[in-house]
Amino acid sequence: MPYGWIGQLLRVDLTSGSCAKEPLNMKWAAEYIGGRGLGTRYLYEEMDPSVDALAPENRLIFATGPLTGTYAPTGGRYMVICKSPLTDAVACSNSGGYWGPELKFAGYDMVILEGRSPRPVYLWINNDHAEIRDAAHVWGKNTEETEDTLRAETDPQARISGIGPAGENLNRVACVINDKSRAAGRSGVGAVMGSKNVKAIVVRGTGAISVADPLTFGEIVFESMKEINASPTTSMALRGMGTASTVGFTNAVGMLPTNNFQTGQFEHADAISGQTIAKTVLKRNKGCYSCPIGCARVTEIKPGGKYSGHGEGPEYETIFGLGSDCGVGDLDAVLYANYLCNLYAVDTISAGGTVATAMELVERGYIPPEDLVEVGTELKFGNADAVMRCLELMSYPKGKFSKLLAEGGYRLAEHYGHPELFMGSKKQDFAAYDPRGAKGMGLGYATSNRGACHLRGYSMTVEWFAPPDQRVDAFTPDGKAAIQKELQDKAAAEDAVGVCTFASFAATPPEKLAPMYNACTGENLSVEDWMKAGDRIWNLERLFNNGAGLSRKDDSLPPRMTREPLSNGAVQNQVVELAQMLAEYYRVRGWDDDGNPKAETLARLGI
Amino acid sequence: MKMILAHPQKCVSCHLCEGACSFKHEGAFQPAKTRIHVHDFVDEAMYVPVTCFHCSDAPCLSNCPTYAITRDADGMVHVNDDKCIGCKMCLVACPFSVMSFHEEKNVSQNCDLCGGDPQCVKICTYDALEYVDVEPIEWAVRLDIAERPAATAS
Repeated sequence: MPYGWIGQLLRVDLTSGSCAKEPLNMKWAAEYIGGRGLGTRYLYEEMDPSVDALAPENRLIFATGPLTGTYAPTGGRYMVICKSPLTDAVACSNSGGYWGPELKFAGYDMVILEGRSPRPVYLWINNDHAEIRDAAHVWGKNTEETEDTLRAETDPQARISGIGPAGENLNRVACVINDKSRAAGRSGVGAVMGSKNVKAIVVRGTGAISVADPLTFGEIVFESMKEINASPTTSMALRGMGTASTVGFTNAVGMLPTNNFQTGQFEHADAISGQTIAKTVLKRNKGCYSCPIGCARVTEIKPGGKYSGHGEGPEYETIFGLGSDCGVGDLDAVLYANYLCNLYAVDTISAGGTVATAMELVERGYIPPEDLVEVGTELKFGNADAVMRCLELMSYPKGKFSKLLAEGGYRLAEHYGHPELFMGSKKQDFAAYDPRGAKGMGLGYATSNRGACHLRGYSMTVEWFAPPDQRVDAFTPDGKAAIQKELQDKAAAEDAVGVCTFASFAATPPEKLAPMYNACTGENLSVEDWMKAGDRIWNLERLFNNGAGLSRKDDSLPPRMTREPLSNGAVQNQVVELAQMLAEYYRVRGWDDDGNPKAETLARLGI
Repeated sequence: MKMILAHPQKCVSCHLCEGACSFKHEGAFQPAKTRIHVHDFVDEAMYVPVTCFHCSDAPCLSNCPTYAITRDADGMVHVNDDKCIGCKMCLVACPFSVMSFHEEKNVSQNCDLCGGDPQCVKICTYDALEYVDVEPIEWAVRLDIAERPAATAS
């Protein structure tokens, strides 16, 4: 067994109903680190990027990294990789929880689903044994009911990753949920699972993962744990208030997207902030597998109000998506909407973005009233009832409008003749940082291979959150291309190896992660090699996208970002100078003017 | 004697203790073979790490037919691999079900406190596990229990 790896993947042909084990391609594993990189390598090899994302020809790959399942800090991640039905680009959604490690303990580094099952099924993997089982009895059920039912009929210690009604109904912002509340959230990977008629993958494993150099590995890990505990970002902000700790800051400077990015400050921001959550609805914090940070929020809506329930969340992104961006400042409503998204299994960012887009279309009178009858309540900013109703409609689409909601914000806005009101890039909604206040984020949104995403190149770290002596001017477009490239390559390598990007805030820069990877796998990558592997992953994703028909025109931002300045907070009067940054970015990346990697770039990276 | 004290209200269910335990004893990451277990009650939002208490009147010890389980001078209960015949009487006898069975070695195993440097305690960044003297434990446990209604009331 190779160190860090199991060395085996499970291939499931859903059309014929067969499961087969095969050896992992260790050459690719070494070149692409694992997870996001390795999964994309298989995807690129095995499918034509131009096929419809919801066709049986699309692959759906569940991939772990070499650190997944070890005690590396935050070493519990897995990724879902496929062609996205939302962006028509590569999709790679990352999730924590416990499912990824369990897959490795069961004896597989990856699962590749191909074809389409003639009927609803789930996959039951019990160590060596893998079988396709009928899922008629859980089809239509929400994620909680599904998980409880499937665990009861398999193993009490089984871990489950699967879809809710939204994915079954091919909602383009449907996600995959594991462990009831951890989401491989973005780019509609849940719809691809639904298109294959697969409800869930249930896993139980009792095997082991070995590492090459246990002594060195242990030393690096324990040192990282100390750093995470010493860093205020990880041990105080994230552990104490979760990702929601960011609300106060973004609102203060005017970067908290509100009412579909029409403003950057929200009058009810305090009511939905991390501090308020910690003081009111928070029951306790929680960590994913091997996580020393523990940013997850276990919450409960206090009884007596309009809503009730308990679950995990909200994250900062959810507070924006289902809160400020829809003008909703009632914390209970945000929590309830979050729980609904987890039950239906839709991405809280894009579901919120879709509703916010619809609200602005209505505000401007672009949607005829007869189309809105289905909603049954006024679709306007601030109306929490409308948010709940839209989440239900997009997960169980029946009429014309609900079907449009299930297509996501871009297609909805395009249908009504105003695609410019969709706030995103490559048809995927922006995350919760208005890029007009951090130009690097603007370039990052535009160039992200999976469509707008804050995690692909999280330049907030250097544009706003770094110590003053290391901070770069958030408002200048100069130099942002090189910063984005470095951050994108770094994040690609993190995703590939199987850790969470939050660990890198305190303890796992490439200088630490590369040696940790080496001690785990027995490879011998320098920091330079490590960043080059990230670069390689990024370029391969780009090649997939270009093969799918994407080009420079898709590295775009809506005119609101490039022409309409914000009028509030410290970031007022700013727009994103995208054209300038993009030209520089292509140069830094070694791409031609159309955004195609040059031959010498591919040769340098060994692609 | 020092022992491992768990504070369930501080545990976040990251299972790092299980990873550290199996890595120390098995040389690999394998929660199925760990000597500390975190029991997750997800819907109740309660996560409880449980390991051997090295009981003063240890049922595993008194029920072992081959006298493989003994107590050392420090008070620690441990399994002598040479004498253990793998009958699993101790697994049945343990009131906390923390005695586990190692299939390959065909012996029972419990927490051995890693020779005085328990890795589970060392890796826990949440202070959910402590390695402390037995005497203050009684007080600490009482305080834990007292804190629960206090926390609910505040």
